[in-house]
Amino acid sequence: MKRWLTNLGAALLLALPAGQALAVGPMMDWDPAYFYFPAPQPVGLSPSNQPAGAVMRCVGQISLFGPPLDFLNVNLPTREYTFFIGDLTSLGTTTVANGSLEAYITNYSGGTFTLYEDPARNSVFAPNPENGQVPSTFTDGSAPLLIGNFTGLTVTTNNFTQFKVGSIEGNIQWTGGSLIGELTGGGNEPCPGLFTGGATWNTAPNIGIPGYMFRHDGKLDLQCPTAARKSTWGQLKTLYR
Amino acid sequence: MRRFTTTLFLAACVLVAVPTAARAQSLLFDYVGFDYEDPKAPGSQFGDVGNGYVGLGTVPFLFAPLVSNTTDNEYTFVIDGLTSTGFTVVGPFRVVDYSPGTITIYEDAKAGGTTADFGTSPPNPASLATFTDGQPILVGQLTAFRFAIDNSNGTGSFEAVFTVTGGTQLNLFPLNQRVGWTFSGSTGNALNIPEGYAHQIDGQTFLNEPVSVRRTSWGRLKAGYR
Repeated sequence: MKRWLTNLGAALLLALPAGQALAVGPMMDWDPAYFYFPAPQPVGLSPSNQPAGAVMRCVGQISLFGPPLDFLNVNLPTREYTFFIGDLTSLGTTTVANGSLEAYITNYSGGTFTLYEDPARNSVFAPNPENGQVPSTFTDGSAPLLIGNFTGLTVTTNNFTQFKVGSIEGNIQWTGGSLIGELTGGGNEPCPGLFTGGATWNTAPNIGIPGYMFRHDGKLDLQCPTAARKSTWGQLKTLYR
Repeated sequence: MRRFTTTLFLAACVLVAVPTAARAQSLLFDYVGFDYEDPKAPGSQFGDVGNGYVGLGTVPFLFAPLVSNTTDNEYTFVIDGLTSTGFTVVGPFRVVDYSPGTITIYEDAKAGGTTADFGTSPPNPASLATFTDGQPILVGQLTAFRFAIDNSNGTGSFEAVFTVTGGTQLNLFPLNQRVGWTFSGSTGNALNIPEGYAHQIDGQTFLNEPVSVRRTSWGRLKAGYR
């Protein structure tokens, strides 16, 4: 039995993909991104209440690329990297409370993430989207570099932070784009993406923009399994002798 | 004595008149890294009373009035000195409040300097030293630090009032523009979190608009109180 378990464990180790070294930094970082709800907005829509069926979208500007996309340079004057998130659909907001402290949790279904490269640095967070500049100045340029579907996304807000701070996090399954082959982490399939970061619904000038619900400061990590080293049965057996 | 007090009060009003309209804020720096607790009582949960909070990482973007050169230098940050003073449970959230602490930004030359390395199993003095080497260009006090963590899914966020108090670039900050705020998202779900760290964090710090002062005459000022 012990030998059978050992063989199974060894087989699993060999089966794991020989990945690159664990990347500590994000695959991409943005600064900033803004979420909005296109018309027609549901009655009662607010940071603490995103009624079921409400459609949320997002536009953002990439400020930094890390492995495995660190060959992309955001500082080139002839390049702009932007993303668009389309059609996340609210499943309704749940309120949890302790006395006067309340937190609001909204799960979303659907939604797509698309990354673009544009020779013109023309994206602008024009107020009151959608309009002639949003999302079009974020979706112009090349054919998409990456396309993915959200497999879930959660917005959390509250009434107990003085600067109106919460978080937005979701998971992405990559489906296409010219760079999808870079996301395999040494395996055969693209690793999932983790879209994560803080969100604020603070409306102070230079923080909030009229017509947008959330400013999001976040990043996208590639969720590859822990890297493994290629080995032989002989080398593996010597470890157990 | 009364007249002297009144004069002193009026003088103070002239110097620190605060506008009532919403104030424009400006992004000062963006940071990304990981956090852990130190000290941490054995067997305790994140945010238990007495546990300390430490965050460290890199600062890829810095803005005026800070002066930076990200081509030649590496910028790192360390958040420390924060101690949990208590927490409130709100559904799946644990809302933790902390005593005041600091955030310090260090500038370290890439040539000849030490590249930041998170290492594992913090507190790890060798790793921490790679974030604290170089010049401390900015020191800010963090007050009203509040961390809300959703224990059902590992995500959270924190916020704090930020006040510039020191650093080699302190003199670049006008006396009437040293206060702002910071916020960050946090997640325990990223697979790239080094062993021993609690969360990945990604945040921004803003400066409030300068506190405005209006010129006036003693006569006009006195008239307002007659």
